[in-house]
Amino acid sequence: MTATLHFRSGKKRQFRFSWQQRDALNRRRNNPTIPKMASEVEETLKRIEGQRGVVGTVVCNADGIPIRSSLDGVATAQYARLLRKLTVMAKSAVRDIDPQNDLTFLRLRSQKCEIMVGLENEFLVIVIQNLHQ
Amino acid sequence: MTTPGAKLKKRTLMVTHSSRALNGSISGLHQVNHSSRHTGSNVSRKGLSMAGDSRSTIQTPRQTVRVLNENGTDVTPQPISHPEPGAKHNRVYLDEFSGPSDILSMLYQPTTAASLTVPFSRSVFCSSKISRSSLSTIESVNEERVDTFYKQDNYPASYVQVEREEVKEQVTEDMLNEVVNIYLTETETITHLDMPGISVSVDADDAEAIKERNNRYAELCKNRMGNDKYMDRSMQAFIGASKSKQVQCDSIVMVDTACEATTWDMYDSFYGAEQDKTELTAEPEKSGYSESIVNSSRGPEKTTSLLSTTSIATSASSSQREIETGMCSDDAADPRLILQSEKFQKVLLVMERCILANIFQPKLAAYRQLPIVEDCDSVVTPETMEHREEDVERSLSPTLESLWVFSCELTKGRTISCMAWNKKNPDLLAVGYGEFDFRDQTPGLVCCWSLKNPTWPERVYHCNTGVTSLDFSAKHPYRLAVGMTDGTIAIYYVYSQDKTCAVSSSKCSKKHYSSTWQVKWAEQDMGLSGDDKEEALMSISADGRISKWFLHDDLDCVELMRLKRMQEEKDEMETEVKDKKKKGEILRSLNAGFCFDFHPVDSSIYLAGSIDGTIYKCSSSNSQQFLETYSQHFGPVTRIKWCPFNPNVFLSCSLDWTIKLWIQDQLTPLLCLTSTQKQVHDIMWSPKWATVFGAINEGQMKIWNLDYSTLDPVIVHMAAPGVKMTSLLFALQTDCVLVGDNSGQVTVYQIKNFTVGEGNQVDTLESIISSAVARL
Repeated sequence: MTATLHFRSGKKRQFRFSWQQRDALNRRRNNPTIPKMASEVEETLKRIEGQRGVVGTVVCNADGIPIRSSLDGVATAQYARLLRKLTVMAKSAVRDIDPQNDLTFLRLRSQKCEIMVGLENEFLVIVIQNLHQ
Repeated sequence: MTTPGAKLKKRTLMVTHSSRALNGSISGLHQVNHSSRHTGSNVSRKGLSMAGDSRSTIQTPRQTVRVLNENGTDVTPQPISHPEPGAKHNRVYLDEFSGPSDILSMLYQPTTAASLTVPFSRSVFCSSKISRSSLSTIESVNEERVDTFYKQDNYPASYVQVEREEVKEQVTEDMLNEVVNIYLTETETITHLDMPGISVSVDADDAEAIKERNNRYAELCKNRMGNDKYMDRSMQAFIGASKSKQVQCDSIVMVDTACEATTWDMYDSFYGAEQDKTELTAEPEKSGYSESIVNSSRGPEKTTSLLSTTSIATSASSSQREIETGMCSDDAADPRLILQSEKFQKVLLVMERCILANIFQPKLAAYRQLPIVEDCDSVVTPETMEHREEDVERSLSPTLESLWVFSCELTKGRTISCMAWNKKNPDLLAVGYGEFDFRDQTPGLVCCWSLKNPTWPERVYHCNTGVTSLDFSAKHPYRLAVGMTDGTIAIYYVYSQDKTCAVSSSKCSKKHYSSTWQVKWAEQDMGLSGDDKEEALMSISADGRISKWFLHDDLDCVELMRLKRMQEEKDEMETEVKDKKKKGEILRSLNAGFCFDFHPVDSSIYLAGSIDGTIYKCSSSNSQQFLETYSQHFGPVTRIKWCPFNPNVFLSCSLDWTIKLWIQDQLTPLLCLTSTQKQVHDIMWSPKWATVFGAINEGQMKIWNLDYSTLDPVIVHMAAPGVKMTSLLFALQTDCVLVGDNSGQVTVYQIKNFTVGEGNQVDTLESIISSAVARL
């Protein structure tokens, strides 16, 4: 089920639901012909995921679509969606105070865990860590 | 309706409808013709199509009445409403007409009858000229066309689509894409309502007159009552008959637009365009994102389709296109681009450090000597309560508490040979891994660890052979000098992630041909004046030479000193005395040098320890002779360290199980410390207290306090079974000590319950020394 959006400038884009996007990404990810990311980055991510207490990591792009995740699909989508909203608001708040400033990192500490979000213009890195054994 | 000739002028009615009823109104003379005409026209009309591309569609019959006056101009009263929107697709065939100019003029101007006089008149003339017999097609065609014009007359111009018969689609495409110049002009001001005010300012010129009039009027009103001059009388006014009138208009298309004017939004709109231009040139591959950045900088208007409550969120500048349900998928390269970008690496680095800060927080707090605050959210189980009680009950004697361990898979099983702190950043530690055994030729490793990440080093450098010593430069804190077991000296530039070694001495002709045992950066006087100090790298190696290295393009060295053996000097003297002729070029084997240390105050003086236990005191200005020779050790001297607090005192340790404390001038040591019968590999003075130093045996780490006792160390820490400790380093600003062992781990210990007394104990050391001197 696809539709094509025609823009006035002549561009055409495929309309996709979020679950279609996810499926497409999974297909792309599992496709062996697509090169993976740099090995160093992969190692660092693996180390992070293996640290004590880390529940999972989610990397999503600027639109909030998860690119890479170590959690299951439902949790990934949930974290990506909710944290994206929060980071957008936080970023707006920081920049309202000083437009030359920008948000780089966000840490949410709760009773059971800590959610850390690293921000850039193009992507979001979310890590959830349990605090106590 | 009299003569056929008058038919032209008096033709008042022409019906294009197939109904015969109206034919009756026309004179019977023409009735047959009319009907035939109309039949013919009907047929042909059916043949001609007005709507759609094909000519075979049947026209919907419509009822139109045209009234022509004497001159043939069309004066038909135009109806108000046209309930036939289907006709908007009428196409006009341009073949018969003068050109597009007519059509265009028709399209863009308000339709007036005057503009259509030409075609109408033409058609009328045509129709009049044509004989009855040939009326059928042409006239009807003209009729059709005229009708369509007439019809189209009343439609807004946008409904008319002009196209040529031959080229259909291309024209529309071209016309859509071509640049259309729209000229906006201002009309004159049209005043719809003018209600001049009736109040006048008090300062106006004619205020007096107006006041006068007002007063007169007021008086008039007062006098009105009961005055004969005025009489009330009623009148009736016409009330016009009201009539309802319907007007139809196009459906008004409503579009919701929301606009956000946050501070950063305005800032981005003003300055974002400039910044994004530079961004665009710098990152041409991220075309998708940059395009949308430019879009957003054009104007703050963004359609927020769904989220009305969280309106702030939807128009953030970081997300350019906010379409909630459907995501526009860009090309597949974008996720990969993200994952390979440098920014991603940096964010991951920070993230890793954050996570580790969470894990190691109490340990790091202890290291930094911050109070350790308990986590109020942590679940307290009865087991932890027991542990805490046990901790409290432990004795308060000085101990070492292990905080954490620097180790990773890369370093497992390697022996740590040396450790060094960075001179500028006290959180950065360089550790060299290399075997002491000559037979073991495994490649060495240098890792730069940061306190913020004890699980993975910041920099990893693989070396060809084992690493024996390290030192960071003080003047250029990014330079790390590494000495290796094959005699090579390398300098790494640590600031970049580039793994290649910066400079190596392997090409130098005068390089060491045996293991470099120690390297050190020291400041040396270069010129005659004392102010000119340059930092140079010194090295001592097992080939008995002490070299000074210069870094220009490549490493080049100058020999500072050769460690000649003492016996050979005596021999030389004897031979000189005995037989001057025999004095030839005798190859003297040099004393292998193991360690050296530069004087903290006068950096031209240094001590060098050698493999036969001799300690030489040399000066860098004199490369031929030693200043002093101390030969009280029986085994190779493994470490010499000047006391940082007292410039006359130094410590030496050797593999003969002893640690000796010396004074510069005396050839015999003041103190000789032995605790166990094990080889002492490393010693270091504490940077905090003058009387404290640490020493490493093979299986034990000891901390001595000369004030406390010169016979026994204060703290003895046993290594784990099977593990040998090999290297020792005091932390500079805290009371922690780092111990490296032969399993590749650097353990950070905190010295607990260690009371030394106030101050840095320099005086105490002085007193100890003086008492020791007195005893000699």
